This record gives sequence, structure tokens and C-alpha cells, in this order.
Amino acid sequence: MTLKLGRHEFRDDATLMMAIVNRTPDSFYDRGATWAEDKAFDRVAQVVEEGAEIVDIGGIKAAPGDFIDEEEEKRRVVSFVARVRAAYPDLVISVDTWRAPVGRAVCEAGADLLNDAWGGADPALADVAAEFDAAIVCTHTGGVTPRTRPFRIEYDDVVAAAIADTTGYAERAVAAGVDRRSVVIDPAHDFGKNTFHSLELTRRLDEMVATGWPVLVSLSNKDFVGESLDLPVGERLTGTLAATAISALAGARIYRVHEVVETRQVVDMVNTIAGRRRPQRAIRGLA
Amino acid sequence: MRVVVVPGVLALLDRYASIDDPVAQLRTAVGEAVSWLLEPGATVAVYCEPQHLRLAEQLVLGAGGRLHPFEEPEAVLAIANGSAKRTEKAPGHFDERAEAFDAELGKALRAGDSRALAGLDETLARDLWADVGAFRSLSSDVDLTGAEVHVDYDDAPYGVQYWVVRWQCP
Repeated sequence: MTLKLGRHEFRDDATLMMAIVNRTPDSFYDRGATWAEDKAFDRVAQVVEEGAEIVDIGGIKAAPGDFIDEEEEKRRVVSFVARVRAAYPDLVISVDTWRAPVGRAVCEAGADLLNDAWGGADPALADVAAEFDAAIVCTHTGGVTPRTRPFRIEYDDVVAAAIADTTGYAERAVAAGVDRRSVVIDPAHDFGKNTFHSLELTRRLDEMVATGWPVLVSLSNKDFVGESLDLPVGERLTGTLAATAISALAGARIYRVHEVVETRQVVDMVNTIAGRRRPQRAIRGLA
Repeated sequence: MRVVVVPGVLALLDRYASIDDPVAQLRTAVGEAVSWLLEPGATVAVYCEPQHLRLAEQLVLGAGGRLHPFEEPEAVLAIANGSAKRTEKAPGHFDERAEAFDAELGKALRAGDSRALAGLDETLARDLWADVGAFRSLSSDVDLTGAEVHVDYDDAPYGVQYWVVRWQCP
């Protein structure tokens, strides 16, 4: 099935790089490097140059921290979305928010995709996506409150829970009027999960792919990588790429990333090995 | 009668297609020459080594032609090429004799010189990894005397000498 992300459509075998662009002073990986709007705009230019099809703009870091109200979140992202929309008409603009009023404002400014990283915490977000013919990412968080860390959460079967919650959310979004081609599911590594949960979701990602909904994975430099290798933020790229390779083999479609070039190479290489993609240019032994 | 020569390049096969075609120009030249060959809706006789039958099938059937060894052919497709030792990076590595060999062979193709094609040095051709068996059998079966010659392609992009040649025989 064609993937329709707002104004943009992609073939059903396309893999997409979603580059993270933070409009935050305190996100875990870049620690405010793109907090200044011009720095964030430079980051967009860079990731577009690197081949990202999607930018995911966020105004609030996922971890606990200072309370950011709706108005402040809008100040951080809405005018920026408009600026990126004007400069990059062919780019898919995603906004990482769980709040429907913020979703509405960014869709009015030109966003194509609402990345609801907190799994439907605000049920009206899907209505906003439907109203603007935008796409939506349906994540699994186990029902936790936005911006909280997991604490002693357990599942009988984390993969079954992720499938049930994300596909349930997906069907609710379609019922609310979101185009079926515009719904993406995301197991949401680390969100409402310990490292063992995230590892199992990675290992069994093919079960999520088998639901037929396009799967997004957000693995980049996360704690489950860090804990698996006992490495701090800044030293997790290799581990991230290993998890990326496993996810690509399982058939993930969208990769939310800090490092676009490296991830694109891994995803293309894995899909080429899997026979889903032709080599870029093969002449060895064939001349 | 129409006769076309194309090289036995495996990269031309659909099964070995890349995203960026490493033989794009050659593929275009081959496509145009084979289309010309089949213009009259011809039955085609193929001269080639057994390895190249798949390529022959792809080229002829893909362009709407028919392969029929038991009918008198109206057109001939020869799959052959020059040496594979033109450069250090060539499949057969560099051989200093390769360029002269290919130059002589190229001259014979441009002239439609059946006698020169029939008299190719088999030992040298084998040494240079030149795939010329089809030239020899073609030259004994088809009279190229007085043929109008059109060369679509003449290059050695990967250290292997390729030609795409059309002969319109009288």
C-alpha cells in the first residue's frame, strides 16, 4: 500500500529517513545544539543534503524536566514549521507532539505528519490529523504519562502489547477519518519499557511488520543501546546501527535518526542483502 | 539481410540490473540496434556461445522478435566482443597485445571483412579473453561483402572491448 504522508506519497517498498530536529535546549543527545532557530534551520539543511525524506521537529524533550505549556511548545515549533515548509516544499515535515492544539497549529503551518510519541495521551490528536489530511504515528508506551520514565513496568508479552496498542490506535485513527495510507505504527523503544523489552521488540519486530501497518523505529542512541553495551550517549552509534540492521531485515519502513548518512547506508545494505533492493551499481564479474 | 553484433555483457541481463545502470550507453546502443534488426518482424538466427543464449533471448523476445533455428533466418544476431585485457583493472588484467588485437578486429568489423573475421588468431583471442567464436562461424555462413556498416558503439569502459555494429547486407 502506498504510504501517504500529508502532501507526499511513497512507494510501498520505500524506506525513509526521519531526521530528528530539536527545538529544545535540553534534549539528551544534542543538548541544545539546535535550540537557536537558525541552528535548527541549518540542521534541516544538513539532513536534507544528507538525503533525509522527513524531518521530525520537536519542542519538548521526552525525558522529565521543566514543564513546557502549550503556548511555549507552539512558540518553539509553529513558526519554525512554516519556515521549513516555505524553504523545502518537497520535504515531509513531522512534528513530535502529543497535544492536539499544538498538532492543529503545526498542521496549519504546513506539517504533514504528527508523531505522537506518547501513544494517544491526547485522543483528539487523531481528529486533528484527520481534519488536515495529515499522517499520524501511533506509538506504544504502555499507557504511561508523557515525559515520565518507566518504573517497574512489566508485560506478559511486550510484543503482543505493542501490537495490540498500536494497531488499536491505528484503527481508531482511521475511524476518526485519517487516511488508512497515512497511519504508521511505532513500538517506541525505551518508552514505557526497560532494556529487555526494547531488545525483545527489536528481535521480534517482524511480528509488528506482519500486521501490515508500516512500522517506524526510533532507536537512535537510546538507553537500550547504551545499557546493552554499557556506553554513554555519544558512543552508541555502532550499537544503534546494529539495531537498525535487525529492524531493516524485519522490514521497518521509517527510521527516526540523529545520523542520516550512516543509517541510510545500513538500511540500504540490509535491504540489498535481503533482495528487496537492487545494488546501486554492480559491474564486478558482469562486464 | 540484416546483421547485428552486440557484446556478451552479463550486466545487460535483467537479473543483474542495478539502480544506476553501469552500462547505460551500451544498453541504449544495443536496444536501438536490435530494434533495427527486428524492424521487418524478422525471425532471428543467433550466433553466440551457449552462455549468451539468455541474453539473446532477452534481447530478441524482449523486442518482439522470434528465435527460430529451423527457418531460414531473415536477420542475424551475433554476440561477441574483443579482448578483456585492456587495462590494469580489466577482468583479465593488462596485456600489451590487447589494444592491437582489438584495433585489427575493429577494422574488420567496420569493413565487413568476412575473410579477416574468419582468420582471427584463435590462440591469441583465447589469451586475451576475447569472445570471438561467433565472428568466425558468422563469417562462414553470411556473406558480408558490400554490406552497409553502421557502428553504434565502440568502447572499452571496463577494460573489455565492446562493439555494437549493424550490417545491412545487399
